[in-house]
Amino acid sequence: MKNFEISRRRFGQLLAGAAATSLLPVSLRALAAEKETAIAATFPGNWEDAYRNILTPIMKKEGYGLTIAPALAQDQLAKVMASPGNPPYDALLMSPGQMTIAIQNDIIQKIDPSRLKNWHLLDPSFQGEYGPTVTVEVNGIAYNPDLVPRPKGYKDLFENPAYKGLVSWTGFASNTAVMAYTEIAKIYGSGPDDMAAVFKLFKDHPEQLKSIVDSTNHQMTLFQQGEIAVFMCSTSNVARLKSLGMNCEFVHPETGSPAAPVNIHLTKGTKNADAVYAYMDAAISQAAQDQFKLPPAEMFPTNSDVALTPAISAYVTRDQLKTLVYPDWNSINKNRDAWIREFDTIVAG
Amino acid sequence: MKQSGFPYVVPMLLLSVVFFATPLAVLVGFSFITKGGVTLDHYARFFGDEFNFRVLINTARLGLETVIGTTLLGVPIALLYWHSGRTLRQVIIFLTLIPMLTSNVVRTFAWIVILGRQGPISEALMALGITGMPTSLMFTELGLVMAMCQIDLPLIILPLIAILTRTQYSLTEAAQVSGAGPWRILITLMLPLMLPGLLAGWILVFASTSSSFVTQAVIGGARNVYVPQLIYREVGTLFDWPLASAIAVVLLLSTGCLLVALTMISRHRRLNGHA
Repeated sequence: MKNFEISRRRFGQLLAGAAATSLLPVSLRALAAEKETAIAATFPGNWEDAYRNILTPIMKKEGYGLTIAPALAQDQLAKVMASPGNPPYDALLMSPGQMTIAIQNDIIQKIDPSRLKNWHLLDPSFQGEYGPTVTVEVNGIAYNPDLVPRPKGYKDLFENPAYKGLVSWTGFASNTAVMAYTEIAKIYGSGPDDMAAVFKLFKDHPEQLKSIVDSTNHQMTLFQQGEIAVFMCSTSNVARLKSLGMNCEFVHPETGSPAAPVNIHLTKGTKNADAVYAYMDAAISQAAQDQFKLPPAEMFPTNSDVALTPAISAYVTRDQLKTLVYPDWNSINKNRDAWIREFDTIVAG
Repeated sequence: MKQSGFPYVVPMLLLSVVFFATPLAVLVGFSFITKGGVTLDHYARFFGDEFNFRVLINTARLGLETVIGTTLLGVPIALLYWHSGRTLRQVIIFLTLIPMLTSNVVRTFAWIVILGRQGPISEALMALGITGMPTSLMFTELGLVMAMCQIDLPLIILPLIAILTRTQYSLTEAAQVSGAGPWRILITLMLPLMLPGLLAGWILVFASTSSSFVTQAVIGGARNVYVPQLIYREVGTLFDWPLASAIAVVLLLSTGCLLVALTMISRHRRLNGHA
């Protein structure tokens, strides 16, 4: 066998070449294989799994690549705002609360619906000028029937001793939490913005704040461990826990279930607009939504050709969608900073 | 003629300037910027709020508690290593290094099981009759310190082992022959010998604990607020980057002062065998 010899200079060149290749942007490398790749931000957990597993093959068939990047809506905003002109994501996934901020900061753009083959299959209320609604998250209360009785609503959680120390909350940074707090403000205060009443409630019932965590994702882990028995959730949280074998049930609060449409947005300044349109179209297609509606995701389908499963119908039907509580996000966004700071001061107090 | 070594240092200097000094300068710059120009307003806002000051104190306290915990655990383990034969030494090194190779996130989530109502600590307390009902250490500072001690323990064991392997075992024998008891040997001989390692470990543990965002957030919950969570809140939720930068600079300076003090002590001539 020939002796293999390599000089120090050649070895250095090889290393530099390898390093340079690895530093190439993902999109450039992907270009070699596909027409275009969309870097799409989705919420971590259920969303990330479902979107990666279901949409990636559909996009591939269309000749596009798809990279799913998990990030909470607030984190998506922060990252895009930190990179003006060079957005880290081509597509964003957000509820109306963050969408308003994204529009104000000029980081998303209006879409051209004629580029979406499945656009006409969406109900007009799901056809946003800034992107299609891919599902409606229905929020309520998750509880473990092995540990606590079925709660009637938010009031029960503060007034029934059965829930003492077993309810978990998060701060106002979470959309799920902020929607629950606005409902509690209606019950104990003069309206959804009367957060002073909620803060007073927390001050008067410190035992209810025992299990406060930073993120709703942590709550699912804590629920699995039996550390908590009740938390504010969306139906998809419950579906996920059930799919993991947990005894978890969903309750519509007696005051009504807060809901939030979830939309895909086209990031301003993206260089992969074609791929983003393909991604939007895939997400609202019947092929994808027929899978999203199944466990463990169980997302409410916005495509009118997709029939609801019995499990989703048990939570909400298409007719019931209109009766859900849709918060005023403009008002929430106006107060959110102050609420977040006040909440932190109270709970850490 | 003796050649200058400067050209060989240039790549390292360039990397330090590009990846360390420049981002740091940007961070510091951000903390003084406002729409109207340069301001100290962000620092005034930070120190003007009693809550922020309390968070800073909590963070320093968490770091100190973890330093104490890791020292109490790390010193006996390092001494055991020093006294052991080859096989036990390999076992100790293996057990010390393996957790370091596991993600901090995984270790943190494992602590949820250990500290929870159904975890081994709760079960043991009930079995011993100390508590009559399941007890959770989640969302408590004690639970957080326990988790941080386990996570940061290798950072103190490894410098101690490095010091002890250079130490002659005959020193303790000489002390024994001179009539010193085990406690006296530990306090008057071993601890001074180990001090440089301890100081290095304390620096690493304190810095790691005070900046450990994931563990603080998961185990400590939202009731125990520390500076990294405050910075994350300002950047990721409130988008107030100048204030976040000011908080980061305050954390950097307060931690930095402590680390500089410890470093200066560790370089003292008497601690380096120049008594």
